[in-house]
Amino acid sequence: MSEEKTVLIIDDDPDFVRAVRFLFEAAGYAVATAPNGRDGLARAKTLRPDLILLDVMMQDRTEGFFTLEQIRDVPALQATPVIVISSIYTDHPVFRIGPGSGWLPADLFLPKPADPGRLMSEAARLMAPGYAGRSMAEKGSDLR
Amino acid sequence: MFAIDDDDVILLSCRRILEKAGCEVETFSNGYDGIARIEVVRPQLLLVDLKMPELDGFQVIERVRAIDPDVVIAVLTGYATIASAIEALKLGAYDFLPKPFTPDELRLLVNRACERWQLVAESARLRCEKEEAERRFVTFVTHQLKSPVVAAKQYLDVLVFTAGGELSPQALDWLSRSRIRLGEMLSLIEDWLTLSRIERGTFCDRRATTDLLEMVERVVDGMRLQVESANLTVRVHATGAVRVCGDANGVGTVVSNLVSNAIKYNRPGGSVDISVSASGREGTLEVADTGIGLAEQSLPSLFREFSRVRSDATADVPGTGLGLAICKRIVDELGGTIEVHSKEHEGTRFVVRMPTPEGDDSM
Repeated sequence: MSEEKTVLIIDDDPDFVRAVRFLFEAAGYAVATAPNGRDGLARAKTLRPDLILLDVMMQDRTEGFFTLEQIRDVPALQATPVIVISSIYTDHPVFRIGPGSGWLPADLFLPKPADPGRLMSEAARLMAPGYAGRSMAEKGSDLR
Repeated sequence: MFAIDDDDVILLSCRRILEKAGCEVETFSNGYDGIARIEVVRPQLLLVDLKMPELDGFQVIERVRAIDPDVVIAVLTGYATIASAIEALKLGAYDFLPKPFTPDELRLLVNRACERWQLVAESARLRCEKEEAERRFVTFVTHQLKSPVVAAKQYLDVLVFTAGGELSPQALDWLSRSRIRLGEMLSLIEDWLTLSRIERGTFCDRRATTDLLEMVERVVDGMRLQVESANLTVRVHATGAVRVCGDANGVGTVVSNLVSNAIKYNRPGGSVDISVSASGREGTLEVADTGIGLAEQSLPSLFREFSRVRSDATADVPGTGLGLAICKRIVDELGGTIEVHSKEHEGTRFVVRMPTPEGDDSM
């Protein structure tokens, strides 16, 4: 039985996808990608990935948010960890309340570009068997 | 459509003529009643008689314009004099109609007034659309500007993380410099976006309140790593929570920029002292550092965009040059003040005063 975990990256920037795909594959994960929300949702349904990376600013401004809602509407994907990763979140200045955090059903919000070390450790945490799932209290606290 | 006239016959004929033309009409025999109703429901058109015993037409015009300048006003003049008509127009009436008038004349007046009202409404709608379009443009542009930089930096970040060990020290150094410069570009775009939002009035909200102490603690906690690597001590002095007017975004950005500066322009082994206090109507934030300080001549222009003090000591300090300009704009927006005290080579102290909810006169 393969222990290999699968990560699905839904993002319309091919360079970003390439860089992050390399990062995950180098760490031993299998990676699938989709360039938009519609394909991403379809892929997620068939693949049942262990982790989804989702950008929220793709072609259409609301595409990412909408896709996330649709993912959560699929019973098999309700508990799938999702990291929303976008340049609309930022570490500068240190303090920032990002738009959309606090009510989105994502497990974590990360700014783009993503610090590779941080992305890897968070991904490992979310895919670990002991991960309890997202709680309402944690939302929005990951941007600091 | 409202009509105000002390003559019931006029009111009745207005109602008959206009309702037949398909308008909704409300009539009032004195100015007070009409104005009271206008405060609740805005008519598109107001017909008002100039000569009335209690409140005359001129006063009605003045008061209605104060409530809503978009209401189109037409006066019914009993005199044959042009002078009163002109006086009414100067006060803000759009048109006038001498009595006695025929149904056709009234209908003509109402048509012209309705056209005017539609133009005014259209112009307001277009203004809203323009503002919305500008806002979307700014967001779109910053995203487009960021995209290539994000992609490039992401490649470099992953490269160094995964293959850093295989690279020569020079290669690593150049990659590090590249990442830093790209990071600066992203900060600059983000700062520009912030300034643009502040200007547009969509960045901070004066009606919200924030606990200054809690914000300071959050910011200091978030900067722990920088403090450690700069070998600094940060002390927070406060006696308790201090609520000030301003939302978390606005207040947080000010605190964050000031503390960040205090860290960046400090010296190894130095310290940052942050005090939070309140005195009745205002909350005060002081951020003092033991850093390189500022020369007297650079103080007046310190809060201007891209004002950066260039010297050997500051050559390597990263920054966009917009941090203090942003602080000043936010503080202005929130009704506060910001001042700087500094002595070259000795340190700098910023003092921000912001109104508390009790002390804010505009609330």
